[in-house]
Amino acid sequence: MLEEEYLNGWKRAKADLINYQKDEAKRFEDVVRFSNAVIIKDLLAVLDSFASFEKNLAQPKQDAVGFLAIQSQMQDILKNHGLEKIKVTVGENFNPQFHESVGEAESELPVGVIVEEVTGGYLLNGLVIRPTKVKLSKSK
Amino acid sequence: MAKIIGIDLGTTYSEVAITEAGVPRILENAEGMRITPSTVAISKSGERLVGLLAKRQAITNPKNTIFSVKRLIGRKFTDIEVQHDKKWLPYDIRESSTGGVEVKMGDLPAGQAGTWYKPEEISAMVLAKLKADAEAKLGEKVEEAVITVPAYFDDSQRQATKNAGEIAGLKVKRILNEPTAAALAYGLNRQKNEKIVVYDFGGGTFDVSVLEVGDDTVEVKATGGDTHLGGDDFDKRVIEYLVGEYKKTDGVDLAKDALALQRLKEAAERAKHELSGAFETEINLPYITSDASGPRHFLLKLTRAKLEELVRDLIDRSVQILGKTVKEAGLDVSAINEIILVGGQTRMPAMQEAVKKYFGKEPHKNLNPDEVVAIGAAAQAGILQGEVKDVLLLDVTPLSLGIETLGGVMTRIIEKNTTVPTAKSQVFSTAADNQPSVEIHVLQGERPMATDNKTLARFILDGIPPASRGTPQVEVTFDIDANGILSVSAKDKATNRSQSIKIEASTSLTKEQIEKLKAEAAQYAEEDRKKKDLAEAKNNAEQLVYASEKAVKDAGEKIPAETKDTITKKIEALKTVKDGQDANAIKNAANELSAEIQKIGAAVYGKNEPKSS
Repeated sequence: MLEEEYLNGWKRAKADLINYQKDEAKRFEDVVRFSNAVIIKDLLAVLDSFASFEKNLAQPKQDAVGFLAIQSQMQDILKNHGLEKIKVTVGENFNPQFHESVGEAESELPVGVIVEEVTGGYLLNGLVIRPTKVKLSKSK
Repeated sequence: MAKIIGIDLGTTYSEVAITEAGVPRILENAEGMRITPSTVAISKSGERLVGLLAKRQAITNPKNTIFSVKRLIGRKFTDIEVQHDKKWLPYDIRESSTGGVEVKMGDLPAGQAGTWYKPEEISAMVLAKLKADAEAKLGEKVEEAVITVPAYFDDSQRQATKNAGEIAGLKVKRILNEPTAAALAYGLNRQKNEKIVVYDFGGGTFDVSVLEVGDDTVEVKATGGDTHLGGDDFDKRVIEYLVGEYKKTDGVDLAKDALALQRLKEAAERAKHELSGAFETEINLPYITSDASGPRHFLLKLTRAKLEELVRDLIDRSVQILGKTVKEAGLDVSAINEIILVGGQTRMPAMQEAVKKYFGKEPHKNLNPDEVVAIGAAAQAGILQGEVKDVLLLDVTPLSLGIETLGGVMTRIIEKNTTVPTAKSQVFSTAADNQPSVEIHVLQGERPMATDNKTLARFILDGIPPASRGTPQVEVTFDIDANGILSVSAKDKATNRSQSIKIEASTSLTKEQIEKLKAEAAQYAEEDRKKKDLAEAKNNAEQLVYASEKAVKDAGEKIPAETKDTITKKIEALKTVKDGQDANAIKNAANELSAEIQKIGAAVYGKNEPKSS
């Protein structure tokens, strides 16, 4: 009886180890792939600020050209590291896989569709690291 | 046999863990997160959402997004708590036909009327997602679970939670108290007759439990807490402060701007987290809002001291409740053996300090406080499964094992705390030219120098063919079997000659002896470091002298006489100091010599240059 218990325990431990190794290998792959995710996530705040800067620019002024160049330089670097902006168009249906609703706004559009992108959302290597914050339409 | 999962079904967040090879670990959900919001919604397009996705649409769909249902599960509609929570929860709540509670979800803009659900049905949706995600992660069916509940849950609340599990298709093997799970996670269930306090400061609720570990049971002696005190209150205090400061300095009320407030909320949470590690943090939110004068920016430094000042009364209140609960258990503060911290907010140093001060003892906080309950649930699942049975208890080597190498240094081959059976090998070489044999001096201990450790055995491998130092390859293998018997073998790779020895008593030290050896290692760490440093300097010096003499000989007439002369002098200088006790003097002489020796290369290659071009 005890013998059987030992044998089963051993088989289980063995199987667990093999499974663990497989899992660990996959986890390691993920770690390598997403090792930059933490810092890139933090850097999204800077991208947001650049976006706000651009949005608040009355018209392209000569002295803003430098800043806009820095913005695109930053975007470029992050793009090379697998960052991709989630594209959102006004009138598009809300999808919580990619969007987070932060408010509503009156509009002529059908109720519940996206009327405004508030803060950009991003994918890193195909996975959502931050959903796009959007406002949804409500009836007037 | 399929795995039993452990589930921490929380008020705001839930987690799943399993025990694998005796070790519990958290499983990530489909979104790749270790925590899943305990939120369920019917979206405006009529789709049922659970977890993160439900949370992402909560702001614009508050009526159809159910959260905090744990506050309602298994309760009567007339309960004071339900009546209180009904006021602030944004979704509809009514009395069921049996006097229980029902919540409504699914009122759609198109005019469809919503459906009324029992709280256990909502919890079941959360559990079903956790189950499905765990199955996807494990690649196998999951049918059984251990689910945790607060220690103060009554029979009806426990039964309702169990029903939620069954609705989700899980056979609930055990409903486990959250504080008991925390104690299990720390392995404290094995400490007989211990009194344990679990201080659980979650996002929205605060629970204190006093436990007593009996022979085979963990008994809850008393519970206390505040169901409306949590980390969220800390965030609110920070936000209020930030809004107030901005009003003072910039004259703008950010509380009126919903989007600005959301950004502030995120920033406040982040600042709070950062201040657990740093003493000061900067909250920098460009373009926070805009008015007639143009865009406005938010920039403020928040110190840890300021944060502590903002929430001091909340911490004090929790400590008061703590004291009351310990008294209710009929215990004196000094009778408490262990304290466990649970909940993310307990990462705050001021909170840890307050608890420590109250008990005069260091609380347990090594495990992630957000995950400790789920880890404990998985440990319980492991016990039920027979996973953690002591049948296959694998031993570890209590002390490091190794051999003596050049300069009397102990080179470790198997580090302490390695699980046995195990085998490791390393290749060594000779220290002198034409050395015919090597002595393998097997050692056990944590000190860097061979003489300070315990000798387990010595043997000699001879018959090594003549060669210059460093050329022969001797492979030394340490093998410990399941019974702790150590075999050491040494093999000359060139001739395949080998020698080995079996040491039966390698782990036969008593616990006290092991502790003594470890303590000594810590005590002599600095002195040992110096000794090892000296030994290394001597080794390097010896190698350098050898290499330099060889280089001078090999280069012959290719180097100018004066260079040769200086090098010889430097070699002599190093030789005189290398047998002394001053590591720095040896290093200096060695550095001077190596700088000089490079001139040989320059001279040799410099002369060769015209020929090769």
